[in-house]
Amino acid sequence: MDDIALGSPSAAKTSQQERFRALAAAEAKVVKAAAARIFPTTDTPGATEAGAVYYIDCTLEQAFPKLLPAYRKGCAALDQHARKKFKRAFVALTPEEQDGILTDFEQGHVPGFPDASDFFSLLRRHTMEGVLGEPAYGGNRGLAGWRVVNFPGQQFGYADPYIDRVVDLEPVALDGPFSQEEVLNGRKR
Amino acid sequence: MAASADVCLIGMGAVGGILAKELASAGLKVVGLERGVNPPYADYSLKDSIHAIVRHSIHDSVRHEPVARRNRRGERTRLRTTSSPTNQVGGALMRWTGQSSRFTPGDFKVFTNEIASGVAARAGADLKGYTVADWPISYDDLEPYYTKYEWETGVAGEGGENPFAGPRSRNFPLPPLRDTAKSLLFKNACASLGYHPYHTPNGILSRAYKPPAPFDQRIPERPACVYCGHCNGYGCHVEAKASTLFTHIPVALDTGNLDLRTRCKVFNINIDAGGRVSGVSYFDANGTVREQRAAVVVIGGYLYDNVRLLLLSRSSKRAHARGLGNSHSMVGRHIMAHEDVRISGIFDDHIINGFIGPGSGGCRIDDFNGNNFDHTKLGFIRGGTIGTSGGGPPVERFNIVPLGQPKWGAAYKEYFARYYTRMFDLNMQPETLPHKDNYLDLHPTERDAWGIPLPRVTFTAHENEKRLHRFLAGVGEKIMKATGASQVWSSFTRRGSRWAGGTRMGTDPSNSVVNDQCQVHGQENLFVIGSSVFPTMAGYPPTATVAALAYRAADFIRGQRSLFQ
Repeated sequence: MDDIALGSPSAAKTSQQERFRALAAAEAKVVKAAAARIFPTTDTPGATEAGAVYYIDCTLEQAFPKLLPAYRKGCAALDQHARKKFKRAFVALTPEEQDGILTDFEQGHVPGFPDASDFFSLLRRHTMEGVLGEPAYGGNRGLAGWRVVNFPGQQFGYADPYIDRVVDLEPVALDGPFSQEEVLNGRKR
Repeated sequence: MAASADVCLIGMGAVGGILAKELASAGLKVVGLERGVNPPYADYSLKDSIHAIVRHSIHDSVRHEPVARRNRRGERTRLRTTSSPTNQVGGALMRWTGQSSRFTPGDFKVFTNEIASGVAARAGADLKGYTVADWPISYDDLEPYYTKYEWETGVAGEGGENPFAGPRSRNFPLPPLRDTAKSLLFKNACASLGYHPYHTPNGILSRAYKPPAPFDQRIPERPACVYCGHCNGYGCHVEAKASTLFTHIPVALDTGNLDLRTRCKVFNINIDAGGRVSGVSYFDANGTVREQRAAVVVIGGYLYDNVRLLLLSRSSKRAHARGLGNSHSMVGRHIMAHEDVRISGIFDDHIINGFIGPGSGGCRIDDFNGNNFDHTKLGFIRGGTIGTSGGGPPVERFNIVPLGQPKWGAAYKEYFARYYTRMFDLNMQPETLPHKDNYLDLHPTERDAWGIPLPRVTFTAHENEKRLHRFLAGVGEKIMKATGASQVWSSFTRRGSRWAGGTRMGTDPSNSVVNDQCQVHGQENLFVIGSSVFPTMAGYPPTATVAALAYRAADFIRGQRSLFQ
């Protein structure tokens, strides 16, 4: 996943070919579309390029399988509400229409689905974790989320306090646990 | 059955670590029972926000023992997982912010100085239902032990900076940690308003450190903080942030007198036929029930467990029918917590880079803490410290959004992308006074992973706190505006942190649980040590005071040779 060029169409295509492990393919499409509105692609990468949907899928498979039913119901409700309001599937709506649906969820104005606002909170939280978390959990691909907010990642320290200065360090992600010897020998200080 | 120990320590965190070193070094045979694991380096060195912050609630040590919370008697409880007790060797110090403030002399005498003296009346405070009591000890009693704690663990600070602090027999062993953008802005703003900013004393090394003589030179040298910023809620990959795992426990183990047993969950303090504490019963790592006999038992956990163990240890003896030390139904009473008031600011004219350490962020004022300011007609007594905070990786910050602003979409993205590096918070630690309706007991039906009743917390802010919070928010907003922030807003977290009380220290057994040496009234060989013994909690984090109490109790226990014959 490191070779994905940020924001390029081919990157999105490659991602789509990856398999999902907890979400069904149709659900993943809904989650991905919603995440793309929550943290949209603008002149900088958004949830799509960061692969937030993969973070969510990994989370539902490994850490919180008990949340999968909430996603099942939530994705179905997003679709149902879209069809009721706009006569089309959620993924087929324009971005503005999708925003309208998501706003209804955020405000809990979804007839027949009392969990709408809770589901929106969950989806928003997970999307942001998928954009901004460590890439080892499936999201933040190419460190896209960290680049957008100018966070240099899992640095082993800062020789300078960077007072009133942009941090000019290339963001780093750790590729796994490191040993105390590595730290004590100064290689990672 | 295992051989009888001189001392059995329950919990191997701040309290257990200090007592283990002090008592094992005196030649006493110590058994340390810790319900969690001895964390491997790979666990506490990870600079991983998803692991340490987002998912801390699913770690075994946390999820096995939730706490049942409600605001008032009669309400339904909600189960909350909380990492405050941390439940591993090294204890909460494995994840703390490092703030290491001493209490001030006045913090020990709130009843005398503020209620009996008429301050409360002049303030127009509404103290109905409050149960304020003086500590039975003074600042002077603890001063030598504060000093010992600061020099053994290596606390960074500058003793002369805070005009409201108590007298010190020694300066801090280390200079303050490096200033940050936020600490400089805060200092300048406070100075312009006539307040007295100081560097928050911090249990994080500003230089490589090993205690010099006359302090314990067996404590290993540790390197200085590298300001990585994965700090509050994280372990420390260079071990600059103090934990007894790095400082005291290695020394205790080296004596050969500490038998440290992990994944051992104590569920009862045992009493012999004569009504005397004889040891403890616990589940070992395999779930097998074991007994450990001991001449002295020390309960040194977080307050949830200090209270819970006393309440669980009922016997048919009339004096213990409601639990140990509870013949006057005082166990679990008078709990307190800081309910944090947060002031956030975003900046167009400054780059803050708040993710750069130190984690606990630098500077603080005491001008509105305790009784340091005129309370006339303010409607409340006491106060709180106000200091900088608000760092950490972006996954911890994405909810920091000005009131009324969108929390998603293109406008939100533009906001967060611009201001993540241009924001910080002020954090208040408002003192909560003990109140009759804030207490801890056993949940009637909910159980933990061992089948033991969960602690049930009944706690809410009462009138004095509500008025104080509003006042502090006003001061905080004034300071944040003076830093030059483009936008300032405040928010209140009503969840409580830095808990205290439940096994109050006092001279009268009818209204307290332990005496001035943390010895349970009527049980000469049972001690409870921790923030649970605080009669009042001050506007500072409890750690330095807990450590000082632990050193003081260790001195006392060591001197009671008759207990070990």
